Amino acid sequence: MASVKLTNVKKIYDKNVVAVHDFNLEIKDKEFVVFVGPSGCGKSTTLRMIAGLEDISEGTVEIDGEVVNDLQPKDRGIAMVFQNYALYPHMSVYDNIAFSLRLKKVPEDVIYDKVTKAAEILGITEYLMRKPRALSGGQRQRVAIGRAMVRDSKVFLMDEPLSNLDAKLRNQMRAEIILLRQKLDTTFIYVTHDQTEAMTLADRIVIMKDGFIMQVGSPDEVFDMPDNLFVAEFIGAPKMNIVRTKLVCEGGKYYVTPFGAKIPVDGDKGKALAARNVKSGDVLLGVRPEHIQLAKAADHAIPCTLVVDEMMGSELHLHVDTEDGSRLIVRVPTLDLDKEERRALVAGAKLHITFEGKAMHLFDPDTEKNLLT
Amino acid sequence: MNNEKRHMGLKTLNRASNTVIYILLVIISVIWLLPFVFIVFQSFRVESTWQVGYVIPQQWGLQNYINLWNSDFKRWYLNTFIIALASAVLVTVIQLCMSYTLSRFRFKMRGPLMRFMLILGMFPGMLTMIILYRVLADLGLTQANAVPGLILVGVASSGMGYYVSKGFFDTIPKSLDEAARVDGATRFQVLYKIILPLAKPIVIYTILTAFMGPWGDFVFARYVAMGTSAGYNVAVGMYSWLTNDQINSWYTTFCAGGVIVALPVTILFMCLQKYYVEGVTGGAVKG
Amino acid sequence: MKRYSDMEYLRLSKWNKFVYKLVSFLVSIPLGIGHFFVKIWKGIKEFGGKVAAECKDIWTTFVTGDWKTKLSFLVMGFGNLAHGQILRGVMFLLFEVVFIFYMVTTGGYWLSKLDNLGDKGPESVYNAVLDTNTTVFNDNSFKILLYGVLTIFFIIAFIYTWRANVKQNKLINQILKSGKKLKSGKDDLKSLVDDQFHKTLLALPMVGILVFTVMPIVFMVLVAFTNYDGSHNGYSNALFTWVGLKNFGTMFSWTANTSAGLQSYSATFGEILTWTLIWAFFATFTNYFLGMCVAMMINKKGIHLKKMWRTILVMTVAIPQFISLMYVSKMFAQNGLLNQMLMNHGWIKQPLPFWTDPTWARITVIIINIWVGIPYLMLITTGILMNIPADLYESAKIDGANAWQQYRKITLPYMLFITGPYLLTSFTGNMNNFNVIYLLTGGAPTNAAASGAAGSVGYTDLLITWLFKITTGGESLYYLASVVGIMVFVVVALISLVVYNVLPSIKNEEDFQ
Repeated sequence: MASVKLTNVKKIYDKNVVAVHDFNLEIKDKEFVVFVGPSGCGKSTTLRMIAGLEDISEGTVEIDGEVVNDLQPKDRGIAMVFQNYALYPHMSVYDNIAFSLRLKKVPEDVIYDKVTKAAEILGITEYLMRKPRALSGGQRQRVAIGRAMVRDSKVFLMDEPLSNLDAKLRNQMRAEIILLRQKLDTTFIYVTHDQTEAMTLADRIVIMKDGFIMQVGSPDEVFDMPDNLFVAEFIGAPKMNIVRTKLVCEGGKYYVTPFGAKIPVDGDKGKALAARNVKSGDVLLGVRPEHIQLAKAADHAIPCTLVVDEMMGSELHLHVDTEDGSRLIVRVPTLDLDKEERRALVAGAKLHITFEGKAMHLFDPDTEKNLLT
Repeated sequence: MNNEKRHMGLKTLNRASNTVIYILLVIISVIWLLPFVFIVFQSFRVESTWQVGYVIPQQWGLQNYINLWNSDFKRWYLNTFIIALASAVLVTVIQLCMSYTLSRFRFKMRGPLMRFMLILGMFPGMLTMIILYRVLADLGLTQANAVPGLILVGVASSGMGYYVSKGFFDTIPKSLDEAARVDGATRFQVLYKIILPLAKPIVIYTILTAFMGPWGDFVFARYVAMGTSAGYNVAVGMYSWLTNDQINSWYTTFCAGGVIVALPVTILFMCLQKYYVEGVTGGAVKG
Repeated sequence: MKRYSDMEYLRLSKWNKFVYKLVSFLVSIPLGIGHFFVKIWKGIKEFGGKVAAECKDIWTTFVTGDWKTKLSFLVMGFGNLAHGQILRGVMFLLFEVVFIFYMVTTGGYWLSKLDNLGDKGPESVYNAVLDTNTTVFNDNSFKILLYGVLTIFFIIAFIYTWRANVKQNKLINQILKSGKKLKSGKDDLKSLVDDQFHKTLLALPMVGILVFTVMPIVFMVLVAFTNYDGSHNGYSNALFTWVGLKNFGTMFSWTANTSAGLQSYSATFGEILTWTLIWAFFATFTNYFLGMCVAMMINKKGIHLKKMWRTILVMTVAIPQFISLMYVSKMFAQNGLLNQMLMNHGWIKQPLPFWTDPTWARITVIIINIWVGIPYLMLITTGILMNIPADLYESAKIDGANAWQQYRKITLPYMLFITGPYLLTSFTGNMNNFNVIYLLTGGAPTNAAASGAAGSVGYTDLLITWLFKITTGGESLYYLASVVGIMVFVVVALISLVVYNVLPSIKNEEDFQ
């Protein structure tokens, strides 16, 4: 059980390629932190620096208050699960899980107890004598987790552990990781490129891009209050609609004017703008697909044409073109539509959409920073 | 109907081309095997001159093998065998050290080192023969003592031939090493407990090629032995039988010697063929 | 030359595309070579910068260091010893003692003689005991050069170690300042099987390469600048000494190499080089394509006994080459088996001149090399052929490609892409393929106009067999052999350079990975 602290951590390859810039983060004991970002954003590199598999170019990594920069991976009190499982192909499942204990010269009967207990938790008892190649992807994943479990380590590192599994299995294993976390009750650092995994697993999410931290926050925070355009677009699926438009300030009240409509920015968001004394001008307006509603033709309803409709089961993703040619996505729960309305939703249909002021996100078009935070 | 006809056409065409291929393969096999069949036949030929215009002996006998036994061939064979055995062990150790390191470790001098060895490899090795001979002569490892000298030189520079096994090591996922290191293994334990068991094919390939190499080693071996029969290996010794003034009396004995040399190496090779093929196809191309 | 944009290029006719590619390729050769020299220049500059930085660092370490640091500039390892790192300190100190001892006892002597490789040759001296003149051997040029080179290696190693020793002091101060503990000797030993394991693994192979490859090469390159030959063997008959670039002049002058009106060395060199390149080209590509053919025949669907065909060919790989080559060489001889059999059957009246006619001999070695090489190439190509994704062929079939088109458009580009580096090494390997030529023909038939003081030269001689003949020939012109060796290096390096720097650019479009 341990805290992890990264101070000004940098990774520089071959003199000039910087993979991670000035990474600062304090991870509390027993916290579940997820690093998320597109490929090449430096998330795996950061994890591997914590593990000791990559040299730290600058800065310090502390585990439990001790600087571990110069420690070998085995001396850092960590356990790690790899993306491709990294099971030793020539050893049975039992030997795979027992490997680290044998290196520590733990007595064989203790090893037996630990391995069988871990196998029981993970439900792989019947495969203990098999070689890894005789296992399915999900079973291999469990063995990899089992191997990390028996080490009783202070920090549990997982590098895209689910990305080699098919969609169904991934959902199942995700739930199991949540259970595992309750059982192990230790610090987790988890790397993924999948925002759904990040949102469902994390206490705190670290969103990264090109080696920079874009935002650190709880799933709620990054979803409701993205610091910048990148986070806004990265978190949430389908991704947030972004439109360039004008912000108008009339008599202390703010409006945005997309597609000729004029929609008031009310509630907390309006107050926030006023408090910051934001001037009229160009803004990037972001609205999540689930925050747009279909509407009747009305004052500030926006007319548009349906291009593609995707039936997802519980909901419908409508791709619509507004009159000035912007493409927006609208998410409509299937239950909200009666048969008649559903039948009308075919390519070419004329629709009106609307959204509320509180659902809006406003970004500075130059800095791409959120104007409201 | 029509469809069926075209189908038939395809089938007959295929059969025709297969027949052609079979004929070609038979011809190829004959061409490739014939010289070796000839050697075997001639090794049993009693009439012992070189120029006879036929293959199947008129008189069969073991005379040539008896000749072999009475000549220095025993000594040459033993010399070669010792060299082959020693290099099978030492060359394998050195090459595996080299290739494993260059495949797995990322240290500052790695790139320059590999480039340096690439450039070194462009110098004709023949050139260094003179000096290596003189160095061995200073150490007293020439002529009758050529065997340890040949082992020394062969083993010492074998690190340069790391390419094939490095290609193989590169195919073993690096995450296995990393997992083992996180699990608490030292680098040595990673090599010993994880990589070596997985590298069995390439270890066997390396042993096999290192063992086979000395049987064909010729130029330098001749240079080092310098005309002292006790220091010859089979290639050098048997070469001396085919010079113009020796060939008429020794030609059939040469054939018998060829059979005796080729037999164990070929049998060993056939047993381990699987690994050889794996090494050649896996490592050689990747470089 | 005009550069086309992608869109313009696509509109060119097939012929124009080909010409455009060819011209781009030719233009890129000098560019690539130029680029290489720029790289070298940059490398040198970088190296100079590094040396300057090192010197500065050494100076600051000295100025800012305490007395322990300062003393360890003179007594290596003192800093380590003073801070309790006994193992490191002793190793440094030991190295310094050995170095000084060596330099004082012998190293200094070799170095001092290196400038002209010895002054006093063998001489006849009156021996009072035997009452006759005996030869007294004095300096030994060979040893002076050899041990001189070794001593220089040793000095470089010493400078490097001394620098490491200085660095140690800096490191110790840094570690002590940050409040951490210094590594003990036990830690050092432990790290040799862990984080410093690569040094342990490389130590033995590198020492071997250094002593038995690098040192001899350096030595032999230096020989090219001396007059070392059979009549100046540096000891028993006469000393040899530095002659500057004279040997390169001999090799590349167009004047005849002896009074007997033989052709010049440069003409001989040109002839042999041309044949070497022709040989390497044919030996590489005939094997490659025919080996691929055989592999494809065996791999073809519907062919039975695949394993047997393969085994028959592979078996021939196992038999030591000298047996098969020497046997086949005698088989093709003037009065060898083949000619005898053909004459016995009355198919020919005269023996075929396999080894006596220059053209026949050249073609015969290439054909026999095919016989030697195909099994190996068959093995290599089989592995790759089976790795070509089947769906490529399936989609090509659906697109309407016939067997030949499938080969041309899928198999061949794929093979060339994967085996490109192999082809290069195989080409340079064939240039230096001593065994096949020497065991088959020994270079024969003799080229009278080219043979001379440097040994007899034949029409099938490669540069490498020529080199061998020069060193073992009547006058043992080692210096000339060394020049030839350097030239072989230059040719091989040039070819590799062009291929490495230019090929990837035209290979891009066939990216299969």
